[in-house]
Amino acid sequence: MTYEEYLDGKPVVITAALTGGIQGKEAHPDLPETPTEIAEAAAAVEEAGAAVVHLHARRDNGERAFSTERFQEVTDAVRDATEDVIVQHSTGGTAAPDALRAEPLRTDPAPEMASLDMGPMNRGRRLTSENTRDTINGLHTEMRERGIKPELEVFNNGHLNEAFRIFDDLDEPPYLNLIFGPGTLAPPSPANLQRMVDQLPASGEFNVIGFGPHQLPLTTQSLILGGHVRVGLEDNSYLRKGELATNEALVARAVRIANELGRPIASPAQARDMLGVESRR
Amino acid sequence: MACPHLEYRESDGDRAFDTARAFCTVADEFVQPVHADICNERYGLDPESDCEIFREHAGLDWDE
Repeated sequence: MTYEEYLDGKPVVITAALTGGIQGKEAHPDLPETPTEIAEAAAAVEEAGAAVVHLHARRDNGERAFSTERFQEVTDAVRDATEDVIVQHSTGGTAAPDALRAEPLRTDPAPEMASLDMGPMNRGRRLTSENTRDTINGLHTEMRERGIKPELEVFNNGHLNEAFRIFDDLDEPPYLNLIFGPGTLAPPSPANLQRMVDQLPASGEFNVIGFGPHQLPLTTQSLILGGHVRVGLEDNSYLRKGELATNEALVARAVRIANELGRPIASPAQARDMLGVESRR
Repeated sequence: MACPHLEYRESDGDRAFDTARAFCTVADEFVQPVHADICNERYGLDPESDCEIFREHAGLDWDE
């Protein structure tokens, strides 16, 4: 998790966020929504080099779904379609009650990883993803009970405090996801990413998300800082200005840049070793 | 209950979908899935208090 590790050619874990919970086919015609579409996308990004797939579930009409049953359909389809990719379920859900937020953790088998939001995030004028301390604690407890590796979603610098609050309860290594974008996300800039990385403990691993046009530069910076990267249509619809992306094209670009920078691409097995993830394949 | 401006449509004339999706008749466009939860009054959300489109159409100020 350091520049020295970059120089040593530490493998990079690429996560592909295939769908998300905000937009749908009204915004991008190829955004995968059904279990079949998500599974096809997962197979494509694994082939392109992703070690982790970050999954949300949707109803047939594209609207958000949180039920264990729908996540089971999605994760079954993904496991059938892929070789060894690590399955990570989202527990995010703007405005959704805590009871629903925990349902994605209860599939059989449990997801190997799950996201764990570290605090509030505003959307539009009235929507807020609250993520109270009780919500964090409840989801984290269930993740520990089910042997699920949490990825701590740090929406801004203040959420590092919340992440540090539960560090003692985390298995090694703590895995933080630093998120840059508009609104109450961390302001996207190379200097701000550097500042946040400077505050991380040496024992942890970090991943970087940049929303929209910030995906390419900030994930590239993460490669140089010894971090990992998340790309995919959840965070960014475009390969370049005016050109819609696909999930696999975004992963392929991250692989190409990592190779140029001398960072080998972590296989799913290597990613499990590096991040302390229990295999359920 | 649901927003009176919500319809489910398979097409808007330009695009067609296999399954009918949430369409706002005021904005004249399909809405984001996360916004469809407001339209459908899920999770305690309510168009009259939480939807910018509804409130502007109804002439409501944010401090009302």
